[in-house]
Amino acid sequence: MKRLYLPLILFLFLVLEGVALELLPDNLIKSDWFFVPHWVFVFLVYLAIFYERENTYHSVIYALVFGLLIDIVYTGILGIYMFSYGIAIYIIHGLRKILHGNIYVTILLGLIGIALSDISINIIFSLVGMSEILWEDYFSNRLLPTVISNLVFLLILYPIFAKRISRWGREQLAGRNTI
Amino acid sequence: MPFFRKKRLFLILIGFIIIVALIGFSLRDRANLTTAEQFVNDTVGWVQGVIHAPVNFVTGIFTNIDDFKDTYNENRILKEKLSQYKGLIYEVQELREENEELRNTMDAEDSIRDFDPIHATVMSRSPESWVEQVTINKGEQDGVRSNMAVITAEGMVGKIQNTSQFTSTVQLITGFDQFNRISATISREDGKDIFGMIEGFDKESDSLLFRIIEESEKDLEKGELVVSSGMGGVFPAGLMIGTVKEVIPDQYGLTRTALVEPAANMYQINNVIVVDRKLTEEKEAETENEEEDE
Repeated sequence: MKRLYLPLILFLFLVLEGVALELLPDNLIKSDWFFVPHWVFVFLVYLAIFYERENTYHSVIYALVFGLLIDIVYTGILGIYMFSYGIAIYIIHGLRKILHGNIYVTILLGLIGIALSDISINIIFSLVGMSEILWEDYFSNRLLPTVISNLVFLLILYPIFAKRISRWGREQLAGRNTI
Repeated sequence: MPFFRKKRLFLILIGFIIIVALIGFSLRDRANLTTAEQFVNDTVGWVQGVIHAPVNFVTGIFTNIDDFKDTYNENRILKEKLSQYKGLIYEVQELREENEELRNTMDAEDSIRDFDPIHATVMSRSPESWVEQVTINKGEQDGVRSNMAVITAEGMVGKIQNTSQFTSTVQLITGFDQFNRISATISREDGKDIFGMIEGFDKESDSLLFRIIEESEKDLEKGELVVSSGMGGVFPAGLMIGTVKEVIPDQYGLTRTALVEPAANMYQINNVIVVDRKLTEEKEAETENEEEDE
């Protein structure tokens, strides 16, 4: 049963992303800023930092699966979120080996990860021809608000999930060396 | 050595190929979603339906507080308007009766104005800012098909993009590009209507681009209503699209483009009506043929 927690929580965040914009006040949405919720990704960052052992890659696989689900449900173009989330989580997974998992490292890695994945998403969208925004505008109007709003979400999750996830990791991955 | 590290480069390369293939697959002009996609959409849609009610309740409280502040002013304006409408109602009723009589004498059954409404509720909105898309809780089982127009009480909001069995996605008017044109018109007296095409949405000015087809000597005025003309064969006639904000010449100076402000608020959509046009293209062709035969 406990094994189902992670996919269920990720699925819940996936669904909640769809109503995220309704939670923001009206004048914020109508302004030039774009707030893109990457809540699934934020939770994946926690997985990559606290859940994983040295040689397990569960978070990368979750990133690929739930990235694909986001693509199906919210963009209609398969592969964009899947690729961006997968790569960003893989990089975070690599960086985690250098740094020890505490709150500052979580914020730092979260910042890097969100920025990386959002930039990657935007590169693909502009290659496909769906976004026509200038890069300067992108950095000030979309990247900055998106990173900040998702970091706030990351900080809210920290007291709830940090300890719990590392406990689940110890219980479920004990004695395993590879995937 | 673990499996991943050894073949890192290899895996990333394979990943690239899969990504390109997937994007290419989904960018193709496909008529229908694959069964797997429909299944995922319906599953997520079902959960969204459950979650939507409490979220809506919470956001509703805040909107209500906002509404309270404006109530007094709104009430005053509404009372003024109400007295004007009373006269209009009688006029409309008379016109409607007359229209019906004339129609009966002409033996015309369906017009391009008629449509069957399918009522639906918006359950979620795509969080991705480049994708202007909302999900509604009616799908193929309820008779929704791709390319149907979607309206609210205020005006047109978009068209159906993809359908699953129990949910479907709506492409909002603000996400329209040159591939989704709406044939539109501005109604004038004596058959001097101005025809044109809505050719897309301009993000900088937040307005739809309405290109006027005919030689545009007729001056447009600010605030005139743009409605769909029904000539495109997909949307029925008479759906309100928006009001003219400004008229600008196009880049070659030959035609003119009107900037049209959408009538519906794209961020406050809760209940929508999917418009199932009664007179489809095939039927239209048939009636035309019959007329020719006669």
